[in-house]
Amino acid sequence: MTRYIIRRSLTAIIVLLGISFVTFLLLHFIAPSPGRAALGVRATPAAVHAYNQQHGFLKPFLVQFVDYLNQLLHGNLGFSFVLNQSVTAILGERAPLSAFLSGTSVVLAILVAIPLGIFQAVKRNSVGDNVLTAVSFTLYSTPVFLFGVLLIQIFVFNLNLVDANVPQSQTLLGALADFKDIILPIVALTATNVASYSRYQRSSALDVLAQDYIKVARSKGLSTRLVLMRHLVRNAALPMVTLVGLSIPALLAGNLLIEALFNINGLGLLFVNSLQRQDFQVLLAYTLIGAALTVLGNFIADIALTVADPRIRLV
Amino acid sequence: MTSQRSNARRAILLAAASLLVLAACGTTKKTADQNLKAVGYGNLPSQSGTPQAGGTITFSQSPGADPNWIFPITPAANSSVYVAYQFQNLMWRPLYWAPKGSSPQIDDALSLAAEPSKSADGKTFTIKLNGQYKWSDGQPVTSADILFFIDIYRAAVKENPSNVGNYTPGQFPDNVTSAVAVDQNTVTLTFDKVYNPEWVFLSEIGQIVPIPSHAWAITKTGGSQVDYTDPANAKAIYDYFVTQSKDLKSYASNPLWQMVDGPFKISSYNANTGAANFTANAAYAGPNKPHIAELDELAYTSTTAEFNDLRSGKLDVGFVDPSDIPQVPALQKQGFNVYGLPDFGFNYIAFNFKDTTGHWSDIVKQLYVRQAIAHLQDEAGVISGLYKGAAFEAYGPVPAQPVSPFAPANAKQNPYPFSIDAAKQLLTSHGWTVNPGGTTTCTSAGSGPSQCGDGIPAGTPLTFNIVYSNSPAVIGQQVNAIQSAAKQVGITINTVPKTFNFIVENYGVPEAPANNNQWAAEDFGGFSEGLYPSTNDLFNTGGSFNQGGYSDPTMDQLISNSINGTDPQAVQKEAAYVTQQLPGIFQPNPDLIWAWKNTISGPPDGFANMTQYVITPEMWFLKQ
Repeated sequence: MTRYIIRRSLTAIIVLLGISFVTFLLLHFIAPSPGRAALGVRATPAAVHAYNQQHGFLKPFLVQFVDYLNQLLHGNLGFSFVLNQSVTAILGERAPLSAFLSGTSVVLAILVAIPLGIFQAVKRNSVGDNVLTAVSFTLYSTPVFLFGVLLIQIFVFNLNLVDANVPQSQTLLGALADFKDIILPIVALTATNVASYSRYQRSSALDVLAQDYIKVARSKGLSTRLVLMRHLVRNAALPMVTLVGLSIPALLAGNLLIEALFNINGLGLLFVNSLQRQDFQVLLAYTLIGAALTVLGNFIADIALTVADPRIRLV
Repeated sequence: MTSQRSNARRAILLAAASLLVLAACGTTKKTADQNLKAVGYGNLPSQSGTPQAGGTITFSQSPGADPNWIFPITPAANSSVYVAYQFQNLMWRPLYWAPKGSSPQIDDALSLAAEPSKSADGKTFTIKLNGQYKWSDGQPVTSADILFFIDIYRAAVKENPSNVGNYTPGQFPDNVTSAVAVDQNTVTLTFDKVYNPEWVFLSEIGQIVPIPSHAWAITKTGGSQVDYTDPANAKAIYDYFVTQSKDLKSYASNPLWQMVDGPFKISSYNANTGAANFTANAAYAGPNKPHIAELDELAYTSTTAEFNDLRSGKLDVGFVDPSDIPQVPALQKQGFNVYGLPDFGFNYIAFNFKDTTGHWSDIVKQLYVRQAIAHLQDEAGVISGLYKGAAFEAYGPVPAQPVSPFAPANAKQNPYPFSIDAAKQLLTSHGWTVNPGGTTTCTSAGSGPSQCGDGIPAGTPLTFNIVYSNSPAVIGQQVNAIQSAAKQVGITINTVPKTFNFIVENYGVPEAPANNNQWAAEDFGGFSEGLYPSTNDLFNTGGSFNQGGYSDPTMDQLISNSINGTDPQAVQKEAAYVTQQLPGIFQPNPDLIWAWKNTISGPPDGFANMTQYVITPEMWFLKQ
């Protein structure tokens, strides 16, 4: 296991370096003059030149990249001159709420989707299965933005139960102070996740139900409950482990549409705005951390699979 | 629309911050044409009700506005109308205030000084403070505070030209050879040569924002006062205030930022969103003492989120995005006043006079071709169809609305109204065989009055491309409308969507000449103008943002007159010529629409100015 972790860590470093280089290269081509984007259409050429020089954008590409790596090695993600804050501070302000929303919705979705999927598999082609399938398909095909708008119309304007927007605060605890106002975005995100997860779970459970060891368990006279809990759930949940592992980067990616709709100043919105403003330091940090989380997510999924299924060995 | 302007126009002149002025210098005071009235969207109600003392009004910041620079000398990267007009100016007043209601002109009543007088040689301007304003510690705003601003400004731009958003090398303060405090309330500024006095007033002196020299001439927290006239000290002061302005989380707690001469003080600030709360400045000595106790500026991630707060009643004063215009009647029924006007500026499709693809540079240099294309734009149709009525026709760089002192005669009547027949006539009378729905080609080459023009060979098809910004969508829709009309006279327009930043970085003759042959015309939105709406740098030969490489000696002379001449009508003449010569196709200007609860009232000017991005919440009150 130790050797495996060391090997994966070394691979991760190479992957992260590669991703950084490619991101740096793409930004370099997309934005040959970040000063123009930062200072505006009618900024004087002298100002644009001075800005680009001040921030090192006039140096050769490779020199800029090495400078950036050197900055990273010193634990410095850079400074956003557009947002007038260090990138670390920006991420620190926005990540907690985005991660909370994504994390909560993923956990809730798992808690709902696993029993739902198994129920549908066990009762396949029943009225209940067909109804739930119809609901899942509807939710899955509904744009999350539209679903959010419908929730706002019903719960804000018709029933007047909650606010349309998440409370503005500099901290996660502050935003959660009025918890009822954060329920709608969680519901919107969870519903979408449930729709997809439950389909995976149903499909996986159907495969497991057809396995010989299930038939053997039943022929031994075990109760349906025991068969399900002891033999079906654990095996049928394996694909979900991988799926959830791959969801970890989403904790950072944020949810652009939900953030825009419910007034959440989160990471998804940060990325899009930074792209529009060509805020290099934020974009680079965001991409790097996203890549790191992807690698980490896969790693955690692999470990979790060995725990869930002793037949799997890490090599 | 809003984002279009905030993108394209943000770029622009904060010089707007600079004000406008009159030709104070001399006897000809320039004011808006009194025969013109603001023709806005919705209704601007008169003041009504009895003011309630105290209370809080919530106000919406624009999505992405992020006011994140508090020191009144703002770097270009952080400079925007939102930072200046809806954040800093609540605390620190510019020397000369604009607009006056919705009109882009100086409001004497809200200014700290009388209009400057000019010396006989035209180089020296005398500014007299009215002595009314005080800092929040009771000290008066004096001439030293003006000189302090100029010295720190100089230190900032010497360090890096991008340190001040309004700075243009060679102009203010580089062209100020002497700044002298004659007495506590009088300052004289001497310029290096004679300039147009209106330009000096509106574009140069108009940039001044007095800052408290008696409290801010320090180089470290708790440090003692230093001589700010020493450039080394001025640099140290500037650097210190930059570090303070970069500490966003301390905005509300840093005592430096409590030393204000404006009607409000910052009391809380959210570094994550830019949301800010202001409390009335009890020591405010200027006109219009605040009735309300607090102004709560709320931040939004989208226009949808903002409008939801308006509908739910959480927001008292908020903008109405064009996409929400169909819901305005419901908003009015709910008890909101709604009013909008275009902000001062223009939108246009810029021609590229350096694109030689398909002989385009030779084609577009012909005025009749530009006129024909102008005739293909149905402004009324665009306004009713795309802007849902919330826009105003515009034919040049200085529009008829908002009403300004500088609109030329041809701003009020479209010189090239929508007419397919007129476009066809112009082409056929100049040697083109028009093939509606097909391809119009030059069949009479030559430079005669009835021929296509120099450099256009027979058989040349009339075809070109327009690169346009993919956001907001209305830009592409307008381009498509012209494309469709052009087809009716056999002109083929190929449209290419790109991002705003891609266009301004890659498709401009001064910025990226290597790409000159990749675009024939471009539409990225437009510009907000300063109080002095000269097109200097835009349409003069070699101008730093003359994207299309337009060159016309007459235009150069007219622009020079606006900057260097003495004719008080110079800008009107310049604008009239631009309108007539069409270096681009001017488009309708969309309204900037605001809604506020009818439980809030105040002088109409205090609401009309929001259409120019400016807020004066000290004029607002909650009705008893």
